Amino acid sequence: MANQYRLYRSLTRLYPSSFRREYRDDLVQHFADLAADRGLRAAWIRSGLDLAITVPRYHLERLMTEPHSNIALNIAGGLLVAGGLATTLIDSWVGLVLLAAGLGLMATQRSALARALRVPDSSRRRDRLRTAAVLAGIFVTSYATFLLTVGDTWSSSDTILALVGTPAMFGAVGFLLAGLLTPRGPASDPLADPAC
Amino acid sequence: MVPPYPTSFLPLPQAQFHVLVTLTHGDRHGYAIMQAVEESSDGVVRMGPATLYGTLKRLVDQGLAQELARRPATDDDARRRYYQLTGLGQRVCAAEADRLARLVRVARTNLRPGLA
Repeated sequence: MANQYRLYRSLTRLYPSSFRREYRDDLVQHFADLAADRGLRAAWIRSGLDLAITVPRYHLERLMTEPHSNIALNIAGGLLVAGGLATTLIDSWVGLVLLAAGLGLMATQRSALARALRVPDSSRRRDRLRTAAVLAGIFVTSYATFLLTVGDTWSSSDTILALVGTPAMFGAVGFLLAGLLTPRGPASDPLADPAC
Repeated sequence: MVPPYPTSFLPLPQAQFHVLVTLTHGDRHGYAIMQAVEESSDGVVRMGPATLYGTLKRLVDQGLAQELARRPATDDDARRRYYQLTGLGQRVCAAEADRLARLVRVARTNLRPGLA
């Protein structure tokens, strides 16, 4: 039995360090209670499934909410810039998009806007992600229409599609980043008295 | 600091609401919360250890629950941590219960018009 507890205890190493530091003893105690109450097999089934689901989830949450997200976003921005530069050699259009996305991400990361975006507010986060989805839909629709209708010569409808699709694409990326940078959290009460 | 508005927490994730409802019965430790959640949901909601403590952490971080410094039962394991609802937690729990009650009313009206 002690071996099983030790094994579960060592598996809790998979959790982010902040969560592990705070709750490791509680997790192992909980596992021991489960084993004592319902048997070792039931304890493993429940705790193992839980482990498989919560380990990636808590790591993702940590990346999005803790200061570590700065590192992750910088790495993502750097990779996009590097990928963009490399891809420019093969396909200038895709390369430029990647390059712009990477530079945009890195600039957003450092700006005052980025700090403002990080105010926890679940409803704003939802709104920003929803706007990103709508803009992405507009971009995909206009790009698909462009591909289906494109001819040998550049027509006025191609210009219209480009004028609609391009801002929609950059807008979708911008709102997606803004939404992802906004941590989940309660919105402030607009009716509350700040002096209280 | 501006106090958060209870409805800004809604809709609550299912796990958070179950834990808050359990804590309305009184202060409990983690394992007792899990047992109570299972019992109150007729075994439908089964929380694993990390789901439970992740939920508790979120509730504590948001100010909806707090860890007790004292242990309510003297004969209990001293290592166990007990949790209790805060005032904000009670208001949020009540607001979520009202929201769900309204939803249930609509569902019943739509599904069984004659019985509503």
